[in-house]
Amino acid sequence: MKTVEIVERIEGEAKLNCSWDNNVISDARIDFLNFRGFEFILEGKAPLDALVYTPRICGICGQAHLKATVDALENIYENINEKLEVTPKAKLLREIGLNIEIIDSHIKWFYMFILPDIIKLKQNDLGIYQPLKGSRWLGASKTASETIKSLAILGGQWPHTSYMIPGGVVTDPTLLDLSSMMNYIDTAVMFFEKSVAGVSFDKYLDFDSRDDLNILSGDMKYFTNLAFENSFQKIGTSHNRFIALGESSLFKTGKIRQRAINKLDLSKVREFTEQTFTIEDRANPKKHTWSKAVCYDNNFYETGPLARAMIGNKPFIKELHKSFKDSVFTRVMARMDELAHLLDNTKSLIKQVDISEESYIKPKINLKDIDSAKATSVVEACRGSLYHDIEIEKGKIKKYDVITPTVWNLGPSHKEQKGIAQKAIIGSKSLDIAKIVLRSFDVCSVCTTH
Amino acid sequence: MTNNKKPTVVWFQAITCNGNTHSLLSANSSRLELFLNSFDLIYHPSLTIDKSLNEILESKDEIDFLLVEGAISKNSDFFTISDETTNVLLNKLTSKAKYLVAVGSCASYGGVHAKFEQNDNVVGLEESLDKKSTKNLKHEIINLTGCPVHPEWIIQTLFTLNNFGKMAIDEEGRPKELYSTLAHHGCTRNEYFEWKIEGAWGEKEGCLFYDQGCRGPMTHSSCNKILWNDVNSKTRAGMPCIGCTETDFPRDNMLETKKNIGIPFEVPTGISKRAYLSITGVAKTFTIDRLNKKLMD
Ligand code: SF4
Ligand code: SF4
Repeated sequence: MKTVEIVERIEGEAKLNCSWDNNVISDARIDFLNFRGFEFILEGKAPLDALVYTPRICGICGQAHLKATVDALENIYENINEKLEVTPKAKLLREIGLNIEIIDSHIKWFYMFILPDIIKLKQNDLGIYQPLKGSRWLGASKTASETIKSLAILGGQWPHTSYMIPGGVVTDPTLLDLSSMMNYIDTAVMFFEKSVAGVSFDKYLDFDSRDDLNILSGDMKYFTNLAFENSFQKIGTSHNRFIALGESSLFKTGKIRQRAINKLDLSKVREFTEQTFTIEDRANPKKHTWSKAVCYDNNFYETGPLARAMIGNKPFIKELHKSFKDSVFTRVMARMDELAHLLDNTKSLIKQVDISEESYIKPKINLKDIDSAKATSVVEACRGSLYHDIEIEKGKIKKYDVITPTVWNLGPSHKEQKGIAQKAIIGSKSLDIAKIVLRSFDVCSVCTTH
Repeated sequence: MTNNKKPTVVWFQAITCNGNTHSLLSANSSRLELFLNSFDLIYHPSLTIDKSLNEILESKDEIDFLLVEGAISKNSDFFTISDETTNVLLNKLTSKAKYLVAVGSCASYGGVHAKFEQNDNVVGLEESLDKKSTKNLKHEIINLTGCPVHPEWIIQTLFTLNNFGKMAIDEEGRPKELYSTLAHHGCTRNEYFEWKIEGAWGEKEGCLFYDQGCRGPMTHSSCNKILWNDVNSKTRAGMPCIGCTETDFPRDNMLETKKNIGIPFEVPTGISKRAYLSITGVAKTFTIDRLNKKLMD
């Protein structure tokens, strides 16, 4: 038997094609049928305009695209031997902005995209978690909107600001601004303590064993109970391989196949298109999605918070992974655990900002005067590793390639290997479960196909 | 709220980045709560859980407010939702609606997505609607331009339409009350603009009109009157206005000022270039300590 299901309530839409055998999904395919052509749009544009365009690839992770673009443009300078000087202040303000966006996204994802579906498996009344109405849903939405104010202080607004620019940032916060930012982050810390984990923040940050699950009492506990009732600790496992391309003060670059390796060779990142539509080729029966497949050294790797926790040695999640592998349960817990560490990290980054430093140091050369150059950048975004690759010719963008985290996780199969989410879905006993497995990756179809 | 029949709102997403959805979710939380209490948002593809788009389409009920995020296309090679083109879905939904609101620049006129030339059919609502579908509309289409649109503009528009049934709109279909003033109004850099003191990236001081490409004086919006996320605006922070509420957005070279022998190519709306240049010349002769010094010194 085969079924096709349209999955809503992700960012955008996806189509899930399943084959069934004895009431279990024996094969799955995910189609992303929409394409907006950002890479084509960017061709021929002024390099700086990419700072305005790429954040608009996605309404929820635009700052990651902005950071990737600014890094790529700065790497262009480096590749023509004009390495820019960027002050620690500017670097901090960029990292803080990106962190805040991830915090916003993680809160929304848990309460808006995943929890309602899981609760629905058991009961019809979602109670306080009811979308748009329940007090906890509203509390989460309020927390997200308060938190994002701290990014608006830097960027002037969120979504869609382009406050990072080659040479630094456009903004020059005062001490008072920094303290307000800290206040907004504290709103989220309070929400985390009271509602998300139900334990004090410091205590949570010390979690390092499976037994700590028993100390949880908030929505993570509620989730844990529901997860065990539905065996989410056993389902949704994939290749159990992890990658993180980017790095920051919180995240480490690396991959884990059999063992952890902290050095990556970006030339081993390759995209494949056997199953991917192209503008010229939509009728080919072999092709079924606009998403490309991406591999590192010809293997699929999962990217995202679970991968970052594994590579970055986050004790609590590593312990959970020992027992529950790359299951839906571990994946969801990793994202919520990352939320705590991001909050902690962001506060300490804000404290480190020295407002007496310059925000911006002007590059000596204008990008428009560059005859020909190429560069790549990698950034850790909400959903995992984001890669940008740019080529400039005669002062204009000649080629722009974007590989989003969701391409790593949700892209189609390649040769003999199943894609990450595809493999994770196989074995699900119902469509509802399959959708939850899919959602455990934090699906963003707008990013996947861009 | 004693009246239990609240006006229904359907939020349809077409070709978009979801930025307007996240803008709405970033609204002032008590405003958002009041909005959710006063209206019945019966469908939003990523937020609601009770009904599917198909159920909305099959239902005989009218939709009081149809909100559309994203551009529309007839081309099914590049974009479909539940196997239909966004154009077909939009027309079906509109024929049930009383009010139609384009949320954001993409829905209003195509926006960023219309720059994807390989799909030659990416347009805003107005262009993609059949006459037949708009028969039941009680009002002209309202275009809330902006990339994204400010959440408060959405909330104010819906409350106003609901309370008064009409709004004055400009030639682009935008509510005059929100779009008749310029982004420039209320910018904290205005004094620098008046005295022609140029800004630089990364500074609190100076105006971004002369080098950084600020479109504040030519852009109809209330960004500096109704602050973003309650706290700021791009130009206050130091980022130029890129004119995202105007139909020529996105333009080329948005982060620099187009100049002709050192003189801005375009001058603020409503003044002749010659007059503007003479004022500039005079203004530049003054040295105003307060403005020429760093604010924090
Ligand atoms: S920065 Fe822009 S909006 Fe602000 S005063 Fe200058 S021109 Fe006007
Ligand atoms: S200030 Fe200008 S660019 Fe910014 S949101 Fe308003 S209209 Fe758009």
